[in-house]
Amino acid sequence: MITDFPKSPLPLPDPAELSGELAAFGGGSIIPKELRRTVFPVITKEDVFTLMLAQRQTPEKVVADFAESYRATVGANFALPTASGTSSLHLALVGAGVRPGDEVIVPAFTFIATAQAVVAAHAVPVFVDIDPRTYCMDPAAAAAAVTERTRAIMPVHVHGLPADVPALRALADRHGIALVEDASHAHSASIGGQVAGSFGDAAGQSLMADKNFPLGGEGGIAFFRTEEAHRRAADYVREHGIDYEMSWVAAAFGSGQLARLPYYDAVRARNAELLGKALDETGLFAPPHVPEGHVHAYNMYRIGLRPERVGLEDLPVWAVKEAVHELLVAEGVPAREWQNTPIPCHLPFRHRDGFGGGHPFTLNPSAVRDHRPGDFPVTVGMLESTLVLCRELRAPVEYERALRYADAFRKVAARPDAIRKLVADGDYRRPYEKAARLG
Amino acid sequence: MELFDTATVLTRVLTSGVVMSIEKNDRELPGLERLLTKRSGRAHAVLVNSRSAAVHSALAGQGIGHGDTVHRPGLDAKDTAFLAWLGVRAVEEDPGAPACAFDHIALDAHTAHRLPELAAGSTAPALVVDLTPLGFGPAAAVLTDDPAIRSRAERLKIFGAHDLRTMWTQEEDAADLVPGVQFNYRLSPLVAACVRMALSQAVRPLTSTGAAQ
Repeated sequence: MITDFPKSPLPLPDPAELSGELAAFGGGSIIPKELRRTVFPVITKEDVFTLMLAQRQTPEKVVADFAESYRATVGANFALPTASGTSSLHLALVGAGVRPGDEVIVPAFTFIATAQAVVAAHAVPVFVDIDPRTYCMDPAAAAAAVTERTRAIMPVHVHGLPADVPALRALADRHGIALVEDASHAHSASIGGQVAGSFGDAAGQSLMADKNFPLGGEGGIAFFRTEEAHRRAADYVREHGIDYEMSWVAAAFGSGQLARLPYYDAVRARNAELLGKALDETGLFAPPHVPEGHVHAYNMYRIGLRPERVGLEDLPVWAVKEAVHELLVAEGVPAREWQNTPIPCHLPFRHRDGFGGGHPFTLNPSAVRDHRPGDFPVTVGMLESTLVLCRELRAPVEYERALRYADAFRKVAARPDAIRKLVADGDYRRPYEKAARLG
Repeated sequence: MELFDTATVLTRVLTSGVVMSIEKNDRELPGLERLLTKRSGRAHAVLVNSRSAAVHSALAGQGIGHGDTVHRPGLDAKDTAFLAWLGVRAVEEDPGAPACAFDHIALDAHTAHRLPELAAGSTAPALVVDLTPLGFGPAAAVLTDDPAIRSRAERLKIFGAHDLRTMWTQEEDAADLVPGVQFNYRLSPLVAACVRMALSQAVRPLTSTGAAQ
């Protein structure tokens, strides 16, 4: 039987390991190689049973029941289940009234699907920089990008932290344009108790199996404020012969998972808090910033670097980042870059071929820019000075694993000499000078 | 397919813990690709999450996009509308074009065993196989012998990435293979596993007369 059940438990942390040699220099690693795997999504007997029961129902009912349960959980008015997050974003834009050639303001830092969904709607993405603390769309930058042809602003709740919705809502209202959320990272995230996906005129959200709320493989859901927007999106796929339906298999799995989402959210929040306190105490590492009243979903956990706190301010921060990255991975914490280049500098937005022949970019040439990374200094600064934990903290990992993560960061932060040596010996480049990574 | 068989397949994949299409350890999607290429005699199978995704992949795989005209007689209203959304015009007659841009077939529980003969009857460079009627939700494949069609179609469904070796990297030497507009057209391993079993079980029905040939 092929199973993801762990073969052996992780030992409890041992303070003696903290003073040992770094794993990168031949010491023992904080998380041994054979114990690094984190299980995600967690699949239980309830998920299996839900799938078995679904076989006895019509596919339409399985999908509709799932969508209705999740819509009610989010508190959105109308929902449309889809095959993927990208298709949900596409339909959210269509529902919000985005038409061919319109401009949609999106952040320069997001997963590429945000911008590709705009192109799918035959509209033109206009990229703006992010806020240096939240990494979400900067409302002032968005305001500066509004033109006569702007139809929507599409903020992303980056890594699970809600964007500055009050400011962006006010901006949208001032110009009579739509606010469309990309809530793909932000399941259960909230501001003042209101859940992401229910803030905007419409929202799209990925439900792929690597998201905080996973379906059985691939899926997405679009939310709408009005019945008219919902109908516009539903009519659109019919009119254009587009198959965006969700599989009943994916939906049934999601129905099983939905009941346990609050439990997993609570474990994520607990682990994030535990790790955040430990990181802050190291000086070198800074936990994610969460504004008052916001609840972060921690689909990803982006960690800042403060080289000046450990006497490394003379080194380029991106080189410190690469050195720290190597040291952490050697200790058994699979930290990642998770992107290295602003989205407008990726191939599809440099070449702008779109559907072919430059469509839809040719519909609105004045909205198009040849961007360089330097056009988005905050995004570039963030990419140069941060590292990300993904599945290893998204999964509801054991308490002892969270403690060991904290120990690995402590161990690395205590060795600025090792970081300095790696930087001196290494041939490090700025993140955007390497091949553009999607994730 | 019997409900028990579907239950067994779903439980097997859930027990493996691998339900995500971009998981390195996934065996279900490659397994279905192998079955489709073996049965059809085509060199490559590109799995996608719907019939319209397969039509898009078949066209984009050949570099056909907005503003192009293709020879494709007999399209129904839905496919015609979808091609129009892509900006592609389909014409019934095109003396300049030797073959249809794509053929398509749909397989259900009763016709699944006919894949070899249906594939043999197709002469287009890309064959769209709609697997949705098998009953596990939207699913489809593009079958082709042309490695360029496969490469472009694979990139279209996963944001320009190609496979797990190059996955999540946009920069490539072969930039002409990277599509401009990119989607997530990926198929779920759970759906693929069910489709694979349905196709595996699809055998030619026994003759009722038992008469000699």
